[in-house]
Amino acid sequence: MMRALSAAVLGVIYAFLLLPLVAVVAASLTAGELMRVPPQGLSLKWFARFLASETFREALLLSLQVAVTTVVVTVVLATLAALCHRALSRRLAATYRVAMTLPLLLPELLTAIGLLFFLNGLGLGKTLTGLQIAHVVIAFPFAFLAIVAALEQVDPAMEEASASLGAGGFGTFRRVLLPLIRPGMLTGGLFAFIVSFDMFTISLLLKPVGGNTLPLALFDFLTYDFDPTAAAAATLSVIAAVIGVLAIERMVGLKRAF
Amino acid sequence: MTQIDVVGLTKRYGTTLALDGVSLQAREGELVSLLGPSGCGKTTTLRCMAGFMDPDAGDILVDGTSVTRLPPQKRNFGVVFQNYALFPHLSVFDNVAYGLAVRRLPKAEQRARVADALAMVRLQGLEDRLPRALSGGQQQRVALARALVIRPRLLLLDEPLANLDARLREEVRWLIRDVQQQSRITAFYVTHDQAEAMALSDRIAVMKAGRVAQFATPREIYQRPAEAYVARFTGDANIIPARPRDRTADGGFHVPFGGVMLPVPGVDGIRPGDPAMLMLRPEALSLIDPGAEGVIPALVLGTAFLGAALACEVSLADGTRLRLQASPHAPVQPGMTVGLRVDTAHAWLMPDVLS
Repeated sequence: MMRALSAAVLGVIYAFLLLPLVAVVAASLTAGELMRVPPQGLSLKWFARFLASETFREALLLSLQVAVTTVVVTVVLATLAALCHRALSRRLAATYRVAMTLPLLLPELLTAIGLLFFLNGLGLGKTLTGLQIAHVVIAFPFAFLAIVAALEQVDPAMEEASASLGAGGFGTFRRVLLPLIRPGMLTGGLFAFIVSFDMFTISLLLKPVGGNTLPLALFDFLTYDFDPTAAAAATLSVIAAVIGVLAIERMVGLKRAF
Repeated sequence: MTQIDVVGLTKRYGTTLALDGVSLQAREGELVSLLGPSGCGKTTTLRCMAGFMDPDAGDILVDGTSVTRLPPQKRNFGVVFQNYALFPHLSVFDNVAYGLAVRRLPKAEQRARVADALAMVRLQGLEDRLPRALSGGQQQRVALARALVIRPRLLLLDEPLANLDARLREEVRWLIRDVQQQSRITAFYVTHDQAEAMALSDRIAVMKAGRVAQFATPREIYQRPAEAYVARFTGDANIIPARPRDRTADGGFHVPFGGVMLPVPGVDGIRPGDPAMLMLRPEALSLIDPGAEGVIPALVLGTAFLGAALACEVSLADGTRLRLQASPHAPVQPGMTVGLRVDTAHAWLMPDVLS
């Protein structure tokens, strides 16, 4: 009785989480002219339409470019910050961790407005550099937490052993810490990619003149149109995320990554 | 190849004094143990020597030159950790070669020296394994080889046997002694196990609350402890409050005990009439016929058959309880009255606490 009940609850939760995805994917495969479920006939023409649209192509490329840059910059910064976190005393580390994860705790809109004023003040308002900085700020806590978690798994005696064998700080990092926290860095990078690729609020306020990221382009598109091109775009995003997760799983195993 | 001097090492954590003026020396090729219960400062001393921790005061000298300000990577000391601390992502070979790779030695020389080190700890044929595929004893051998391969000026061992089971512990203990003797490396060895310290060390520093209670050879520590704490920590001992009556002609003391006057050796500073502690190791006591001349009558309280000996607990007329080991064939049973003989050469008079 209890088992049946918990299975039912679990089923409802999964349905709640996955049905929208199924609906979008189904809608993107329609042969008809309207976004609707179930699809009317099967076809890949909306994917072709998506890729043929210059607006969407440019938005996709900009999103990818910003996301990849975000991953590289964020992972480097978050690794440095996580090493600093490891070196601090327990009490200081707790305060430091809260400070580093602040962008995660504040409403995104608030951070966006703050960044808008700040970047304008620097003369970087409405530029690609400004947008890039904003993406790094938002993605940073995710990568930071993943790398801190990975570092916590490393026995401090590793660093002592390495030092006693003659390695300096950088040698110890390169030879011992880096290989041991690589799974955490990969996970953190994946998070940063997904966060940046999906970012809407921040991008809406800070987008460069004449440039649109994919979520913004979709939003603009849906304001006037309701054809399944949007569903095709969403489906491609889902596929990209699944590929990323599978890649991490293949490389490090999800158990170690989280 | 090295003489080590530790002078007045002091370390404070908040308000507690973890080290309170620890001074030690190790001569060339000597193995010195730091023995004591947890929290006595033995590991803190070792960590200060390794450079993992900065002492608040005091100095560490290698052949007369201070290394206290040097970071660990500049000291060239080999360290063996309690939990081995092998690099989990590196093979046995790469673990051992680590210190050589850091020094950028030619690959051929690295290979030769790693092979030598692994031969020394008798671990060959496992070079390509990862640490997690090794047993505890094998991991500790790798850790020892890794510390030795850099030809350190000093070897520091922090309870290296604590995580091994009893059988392996014996084996690795002898291996450590062999390797240390063979390579003539000066070594400091931290342990809380007195038998381990006795078997391995040239000298033992018994530590108590951040200080060195006694620093001497195992024989002296065991037979001539400086205070009751040292006697209790270095093996079974009956420790009985006693007041010496006067000095004997050969520099010992006359101590009244169980109705007789025992001439026993003791710590020189004790004055007749002062309260002191009489140490009787179980091997200083034997059971004989209660009728004989000059014996101390005792009542057997309990016995336990240990195989090689019969452990007995007896009580004297004044209620003093003593533990001793009799021959396993001794016809002794609880409730019997027996005679107790004291071998005064194995007795020792010492102060309760060294002032």
